[in-house]
Amino acid sequence: MVTKLRRRRAFSALIYHRLSSVMAALFIVGYLWMILIPLPPLSQGTYIDENALQPAQVNTYWNWVDVHKADQYLYQLEALRHNNATSEQRAVFIRNEFSKLGLAASIQMYEFSTSSGPVRGHNAYAIMASPRASGTEAIVISASWISCIDEGSNTPNMRGISTVLSLAAFLKNQSLWAKDLIFVIGDNYLDGMHAWLNAYHGTIPSNLNTDLLQHSSGVIWTALNIDYSGHSFSHLGVFFEGLNGRLPNQDLMNSLYLIATYTGGVPVTVYDHLDPSEFPNKWEEMSIFPSWIPSAIRKSAYAQLYSYRARNVLRQLGYQARGRASGVHGLFHKFRIDAITLYAVPATGPHGFHALGKIVESTLRTANNLLERLHASFFFFILTSPGTFMKIGTFLPSAILISVAMMFGGLREWVDAGVTQQHYTTTSKGDKTPTTKVKWVPRSRPVLHALIIMIITHIMGIALFSLISTRWYMDSNSTCSLALVGLSLFLPSIILQGIPQPSSTAAPVWMVLKSFNLCFASTIISITSLLNFSLAAALAVTLGLPLTLASPSSIASPPLIKYAFYCILATGWLALCPREVADAIWNWEVLGVWFGPFVCIIYVPLVIQASLVCFYQS
Amino acid sequence: MDARAVFALLVSGRLGLALSFPWLPDALKYDHMLSSPLTARLRLQEGIFLYQHDIDPYSGSAFRHSPLYLSLFTTLLPIISSPTACILLWTAADALAAYSLVRIWRARAGGASERDGLVAAAYLLNPYLFLPSLGLSTSTFENLSILLALMFACEGSSSPALLAFALATHLTPPLSSLLLLLPLLGVLLSGPASSLEDPCTFTSPALRMTRLGAEYLTYVLVLGAAAAIVVGDDTYTLKWGWVGQTWGTSLTLPDLTPNIGLWWYFFTEMFDHFRPFFLGVFSIHLVIYIMPISIKFQHDPLYASFLLIGILATFKAYLTLADPGLFLSMGILFPEVWTYLRHPLPTFLLHLHAALLLPLLHALWTSHGTGNANFFYAATLVMGVANGAGVVDWCWAGMRIAIGGRGGVAGGRKIRVKGGDGEGVLEEEKDEEVKTTHSEWELEEGWEERWEVVQE
Repeated sequence: MVTKLRRRRAFSALIYHRLSSVMAALFIVGYLWMILIPLPPLSQGTYIDENALQPAQVNTYWNWVDVHKADQYLYQLEALRHNNATSEQRAVFIRNEFSKLGLAASIQMYEFSTSSGPVRGHNAYAIMASPRASGTEAIVISASWISCIDEGSNTPNMRGISTVLSLAAFLKNQSLWAKDLIFVIGDNYLDGMHAWLNAYHGTIPSNLNTDLLQHSSGVIWTALNIDYSGHSFSHLGVFFEGLNGRLPNQDLMNSLYLIATYTGGVPVTVYDHLDPSEFPNKWEEMSIFPSWIPSAIRKSAYAQLYSYRARNVLRQLGYQARGRASGVHGLFHKFRIDAITLYAVPATGPHGFHALGKIVESTLRTANNLLERLHASFFFFILTSPGTFMKIGTFLPSAILISVAMMFGGLREWVDAGVTQQHYTTTSKGDKTPTTKVKWVPRSRPVLHALIIMIITHIMGIALFSLISTRWYMDSNSTCSLALVGLSLFLPSIILQGIPQPSSTAAPVWMVLKSFNLCFASTIISITSLLNFSLAAALAVTLGLPLTLASPSSIASPPLIKYAFYCILATGWLALCPREVADAIWNWEVLGVWFGPFVCIIYVPLVIQASLVCFYQS
Repeated sequence: MDARAVFALLVSGRLGLALSFPWLPDALKYDHMLSSPLTARLRLQEGIFLYQHDIDPYSGSAFRHSPLYLSLFTTLLPIISSPTACILLWTAADALAAYSLVRIWRARAGGASERDGLVAAAYLLNPYLFLPSLGLSTSTFENLSILLALMFACEGSSSPALLAFALATHLTPPLSSLLLLLPLLGVLLSGPASSLEDPCTFTSPALRMTRLGAEYLTYVLVLGAAAAIVVGDDTYTLKWGWVGQTWGTSLTLPDLTPNIGLWWYFFTEMFDHFRPFFLGVFSIHLVIYIMPISIKFQHDPLYASFLLIGILATFKAYLTLADPGLFLSMGILFPEVWTYLRHPLPTFLLHLHAALLLPLLHALWTSHGTGNANFFYAATLVMGVANGAGVVDWCWAGMRIAIGGRGGVAGGRKIRVKGGDGEGVLEEEKDEEVKTTHSEWELEEGWEERWEVVQE
């Protein structure tokens, strides 16, 4: 028993002593892993997991007649645009065209009320009943009025809409559909489709005023959104990120990749990123490496491959971490629908309606083959290039390692807070000279103080969010944000004034506060990584080292630089990127994206707590 | 602040929350973490509806509550369909349970103290207890009956204690009460005062124990007969079909609705011909703990019952969050042990992880469709580890305190260390240049003898 106790003691002492190096190693490996994510050996080739899909195994019937029809629709749409047709006129035109085809078509009017004013429009949609089955399942083919170029900045998606219209005319003549086909033309960029989907599923939020849908169909399993705004296209880009970091089943993208390559003869890219190996003379502008690195290194094939994949990964990270939908397809995922956008990358050639129609026809046939929903577990991935992806096990550890390091830091602070050294002098029996001894005295930890501070900061986070989502803040953005950042500089002293000091024998509050802060942040990172890896990685980068390194100042006055750093880290984004703030608020109010509230209620308080740690004096 | 004011504030705060968000009970009633097939209000409503329409509610498999609930909610309080009245009743039950916990604390500490408010807060603010209660899960009444039984036992009134415990036997799965019977009798016989620091052998007056046991059995049978009359067609026939549907459920596990426990997934995956064997293994496994814990902590049966509640909260069938909630809240009764806990923060963090993972992975499985049952099962394993860590730590600390050596401070109060020389501070060994971590103290001289005492 005694040896067991001693052994255990020696072991924990060993870990305790090496803790700093263990933590440093975890941080280094974690951050390095994140940097290495685009490396080719970490990715693997895509494959089809669901055997029923059978992509690119059918003959397609889409032909030049249908392309001609698409051209005719395009002329009419352009005429509408030329005459500055209102949203209602456009919807009426599309509804009429659907009706002429003999489909059950209708218009949906909607209006969102947001803090930046009302958002309204008209959607047109049509439902083609399945000739083969009872219509319990459905596939959506959609296009929105505005293309996803520059996040919906007013480039009309004319050819996308003409493709949907001509596809409706073409697909109606086929008898092999086992699922209902729903054609939807959403108004504006995201809000139209969002209103339609909510009305379809009966989940109308309180800020949405809309008509109920006249026609309905079964459960939607798959959705293809077509985005074709240029004259012609060279590549077909895949956009797949949904709201709140949700991803569609990877099989859908993999099928599209096979179909586009083998049926359509169109090269596939991720987003609108072109592969630098196809454009040897453009490598310099496609490289992510800074120009001071020797061009021989930057020009090497491996570096180009790395930077191509790194751009893809960073783009996915940007969409996913902010919970943004990268296109209209992103709205579908919430309703358990696998959806992607087929983006025709604008170019002078060589492809057009003919290739796109064939690809969509074949992809719909693939989706039509499904007998059950696509398998679970194919939802967690990073698409590094159209043909390669990373499984969850190859990227998740990077964020988890950092969160483990933070957890270790928090636990060490907790242990340290529990004991203190006391020097005392004794006279031993042999000689009479007094010797100074050190003994370790246990002390109580001011747990309640630290918890109260944490709760106050989180409540202030809620207050911050409700403040910046008011109409008034939106109107007087620039002055308010500066005032808020300034206020955050004074907050710590205000908070600390209000908290009673613990007894002098107890551990200092900052130790317990830092311990809880690190443990809580670590928990948040590791839990989030399951749901939204990009957000967890972003948190690991912004919180990992700063929170671990927060420590009270030793000089009498608080060192302003350190303190200001934390304040800017916490609330600087208010002043530095007002557009992001406005977007995040809009996304929360209209689309229900959690990113804005999450930052205000979780992220900001965590950093403020670290700044409070710095505010204490050791 | 005055304990009474704190209590009133907490109860009215809860009530205010529940009444100002009247959609909460409805939003939470389907939650698998907060209510099991044995405690769901939805099923209770179904059973009452069948009962009122003269259909035996136990003939199907939807209703598994005790018949006593049927009589309560059809005759005494026919309020099950009124949400506001339900919220009032459930809050009252919670308030009563918190009050019993305070009374147990007073009995143990020997009178009212400034800590009373804290004890009430530990029960009323515990989210594991608060949320099931908002979801109107009947686990609230299970916890109430157990706490009432313990309260009466601590105060030495044996008949009310045994009656309350017989009620608990009817309301909870039978294994739960079987586990707690022995320590409860121990509390009745040797009192609630803390003797963890000063272990001594328990001399049991066998006759008195048998008499108490017989009294308890009588109460159970009387309540059982009442239940049989309730279910019977008219007042003169007894029907015993409910026994298999209520008590039998936790032994035969007919309903595999997911919950936070460790049973459901195991039996979902299992081939049918192994079921009887493993049902036996799982049930007997629970019973195994009774004797060791009761013998080890014979000097402090209240602590033994606390530990057994923790074991139940880890291993029982049809677990809901209310079970670990009761265990965690009862920890407030033993402040003398706190300083001996070896890993309170990791236990708390495990619970934090589990509490966040459970709803998240449940949603990934059932609503997002991006995960499957294994995801939720993994989260229940985290919950199991969290509960296990808590039980092991409290078990260790309860034994470790007898050796003394850490005249620690618990919440600013100096704890009296019996059997030691009062010096709780230990010197560091000089030859080892090791900074002793908080949990690993050099032991006092002569600790080995005292360790022997604890070991016996």
